[in-house]
Amino acid sequence: MNRLLLTVRRNLRIMRRMTAAHVAMSLTYRGEWVVFMAANISVPIISLLIWRTALANGAQLPVDEHYLTTYFVLLSIVTMATSSWMTGFLSRDIRLGRLSSWMVRPASLLLDFVANNLSEKILKTCALVPMVGVLWWIFRDSMSVPSGPGHLAVFAVSVVLAAVLVFTIDILVAALTFWMDDVTALHQARLIIANVLSGAIVPLALMPDWSRGFVDLQPFRYTVSFPVEIVAGHLSNTEILTGLGVQLGYVVGFGVLARLVWAAGIRGYSAVGA
Amino acid sequence: MTPKPVPTPTTATTRTYADPREPIDRTWLRRQTRHLRLWRRFLAQAIVRETHYRAHFVTTLAVGVVQLGLALVPILLLYGYTDDMRGWSQAQVLTLVGVYQVVTGVLAAFVAPNLQRMTTYITEGELDVVLVRPVSSQFYLTLRWINVAELGNVVSGLVLLVFGLVRSGASPNPLQIAQALVLAACGTVLLACVWCAMSFAAFWIQSVNPIGMLYTSLAESGRYPLVFFPFAVRTFLTFVFPVAFASTLPAQALHGGVGRLPVVGGVVLAAVAVTLVRLQWRRGLRSYASASS
Repeated sequence: MNRLLLTVRRNLRIMRRMTAAHVAMSLTYRGEWVVFMAANISVPIISLLIWRTALANGAQLPVDEHYLTTYFVLLSIVTMATSSWMTGFLSRDIRLGRLSSWMVRPASLLLDFVANNLSEKILKTCALVPMVGVLWWIFRDSMSVPSGPGHLAVFAVSVVLAAVLVFTIDILVAALTFWMDDVTALHQARLIIANVLSGAIVPLALMPDWSRGFVDLQPFRYTVSFPVEIVAGHLSNTEILTGLGVQLGYVVGFGVLARLVWAAGIRGYSAVGA
Repeated sequence: MTPKPVPTPTTATTRTYADPREPIDRTWLRRQTRHLRLWRRFLAQAIVRETHYRAHFVTTLAVGVVQLGLALVPILLLYGYTDDMRGWSQAQVLTLVGVYQVVTGVLAAFVAPNLQRMTTYITEGELDVVLVRPVSSQFYLTLRWINVAELGNVVSGLVLLVFGLVRSGASPNPLQIAQALVLAACGTVLLACVWCAMSFAAFWIQSVNPIGMLYTSLAESGRYPLVFFPFAVRTFLTFVFPVAFASTLPAQALHGGVGRLPVVGGVVLAAVAVTLVRLQWRRGLRSYASASS
């Protein structure tokens, strides 16, 4: 027990140091993050304007103006907070044998990716929050503010869970490099599917009725759409609790799967380039 | 002093770079034809390269088709709830997306592969090698690399365009088709200019990779008719980020003509944009301090 505690503490310490190093590195191009986030927020703004026009034009949507506006204003924050971009890099490290130099170090290579993820998100938050603030102010009349700190806390928990879920799926896809060498196409396919099914392009509430059950239960809903729905939507307390349960289930499920696949891959790994 | 006549090589001797040769003819017309010939070589080389990476070719085609399908999802959903948005039927919007797909496909094939290299050109000094070559450096940097596989998107765009036209029952006359062609050409040139202007900012801010993303995200607005946006945004999308010329106006022309003003306006705007980008390039070159020597 004591040894486990020590390992956890050491890993946390390493991660803090590495995150600081990554932040320092990312600060080289400060302007980049502002441009990145400007790009990140522009597609939700375009969608927001389109769907508001549709409503104003008398389209019979299943959601109201408040839902749509809150959804799209929050969307860029949540997609940013839950995004992960490691598949390509991790897959390259496995293929080119850079994993070898990490295997003799006292920390996992994955820790470096966690640190990178955290550091970039810290900087991105700094760039994105003011933009979303302006957007919020412009549309303040049709924003629904979460009722009470409870809602907000649940939202925060759900965003963290979603971020872990996306990260785990990324590890899972990248770990297949141990057997497949090139996972680019697989990764591409995953991105395309996730784009639609996560609600990052169109709110899942607007999906047609015949797709309801599938859309509500598939894992990608819990990577973006579900956290946003907690603030924007009309979810009842039971629905929120069930949703959190399903989300937690997916996190644990994918986590165990990724752990198994990663461990099996490491065992079968014959160092290239070492 | 008269130049010495250049000896014509006999069949037995091989010409080397050390041999005397005709000086390059620098008249304006000759320069253009030389560049055109060069571009034909680029294209030929790109096609040969594509035959080497067949898997890449097939993947690009497949991804293009899937992305087109994805892009249609919001429009299909939207028209599930309404039949008419501000005077646009679903079929008309499909035509518009087709036009947009053709224009962006052309840009992705001929311009994008170059602008994506802009950061390395400038930060790693590859530009130095370009500057010593006897071609216009701007031409070389904007059009050197061609991604032939992206032309698949042009084909799928054309298919969608024709499908939309047939569905909406429009039968454009030759004048309207000509209008649409001119407008789409202006849209292509304008978008290329905006993208170049954003990428040439690399002279001053070094890393422009995220600017490419910003451009792509903003260009997504071209998938919708201009009237779907509030007035201020419409103005922005016509004059500042002129995506209107790449989709809305050509689609309007195909569905009944747009009159003379937008066509003339488009040509004038395109000419102004090309001039401005040319000036920006010259200014940039003057502030370029070389990264390798």
